Amino acid sequence: MSQQHESVELVGEETVKHFTTAVLVAALTAALSQVSIPIPGPLPPFSLQPFGMFFAGLLLGPLWGGFALTLYILVGIAGVPVFSNGNAGLGYVLVGQGTGGFLVGFLVGAVVAGAIVHRGVEPRSLSSVSVPVQLTGLFAALVVVYAIGVPWLSAVTGFPLPRAAGVMAPYVPLDLLKLGIAVAIVEGGYLVRR
Amino acid sequence: MLSYRPGDTFAHRLDPRSKLLVQFGLAVAVVAHPTVPWLAGATVLGLLAAATARLSPLAVVRSYRVVLVVLALAPLLAGVTLGPPWFRVDPALRSARLVARVVPVLFVSAAYLRSTPVRETRAAVQRLVPGKAGQLLGVGTALVVRLFPVVLVDVREIRDAIRARGGERRPPWERARLLVVRSLERTLARSDRLGVALRARCFAWNPTLPPLAFARADYPVLALGLALALSPVLTRF
Repeated sequence: MSQQHESVELVGEETVKHFTTAVLVAALTAALSQVSIPIPGPLPPFSLQPFGMFFAGLLLGPLWGGFALTLYILVGIAGVPVFSNGNAGLGYVLVGQGTGGFLVGFLVGAVVAGAIVHRGVEPRSLSSVSVPVQLTGLFAALVVVYAIGVPWLSAVTGFPLPRAAGVMAPYVPLDLLKLGIAVAIVEGGYLVRR
Repeated sequence: MLSYRPGDTFAHRLDPRSKLLVQFGLAVAVVAHPTVPWLAGATVLGLLAAATARLSPLAVVRSYRVVLVVLALAPLLAGVTLGPPWFRVDPALRSARLVARVVPVLFVSAAYLRSTPVRETRAAVQRLVPGKAGQLLGVGTALVVRLFPVVLVDVREIRDAIRARGGERRPPWERARLLVVRSLERTLARSDRLGVALRARCFAWNPTLPPLAFARADYPVLALGLALALSPVLTRF
């Protein structure tokens, strides 16, 4: 009878910590994508999906934040209904209803926010990051999301670029409000232990 | 929503890597060639893909109905003008042609979802992305699939609790803040517990992967996927 012997290389403690946080942030992004708060009047519902990108960048930095959003997109490609309205599949990400660019934008946005807030690959304590730096990081992430999402929408639907921008314009003030809420949560001390 | 159903169809027997390449290739091809002959060919391919997974076209349409309704509105929106003549046909037709190319990609995607279990996609990711990054992506995908329903229940419980305490009377941003803060707290507590559980089980860099292998039927599918993905370059010669 033959026996196989192989040494086990354990994953380091820091890596396990970042990895599990990224996994749970990806699951939270998926869960928040299924929940929105209706707003009276002509404005679209208050979607909670961008908070996933904000907290991926804020909690995990560019590398692990990007990893969390990559997991979110991969799980959707694998067939789990994690995109808004319970959609899934590679086809939805690539062309879908034209909003696939926003999903890719969330991934790049998390990397940009993490890079600006943490000024490096390793995440640092958020208590040492000033409010203007947090605001700049999250605002840059939003700019990236729209810079990728709007031309993508235009390419898929055939809208001229200004019209695609017009379609998405009602979401901009709501996203800026979400940015403010995310920074208020950090300043409220809810993430200090991280 | 469409999900995996065990079976023994042609699509079920294919390697997930071949199926992913065909989806990607088709998306590249229809974006690069938004012409009527290419659209007709892509539509036939989409219907064929659904047939190989024994998936009814009606089931695909039902599953993607929200996406398709939004897409159907795009040509109308593209044609509307803010002054006379109020509606222009040319931009609406152009938009309709561009939107039509989405449909075959959704059909191929639906065939993939019906014929591929998540663990095979995980194994494909782990094999396509080399090294430790691929291993973490593979394990991470499996864990997110496992944890997503749990976190979704958490978020819905918190939303219902806020509602039960008269939260509907608060402004939307205040409700959003409360919901996100409580959800984050629970999620981060779960992350701590998951970390302890992984370390207790000696989470290591040498995992055992589910077996994956290309069969004879995979090679023509791989060739088709590759040809479609390279079609923007190949059609120049």
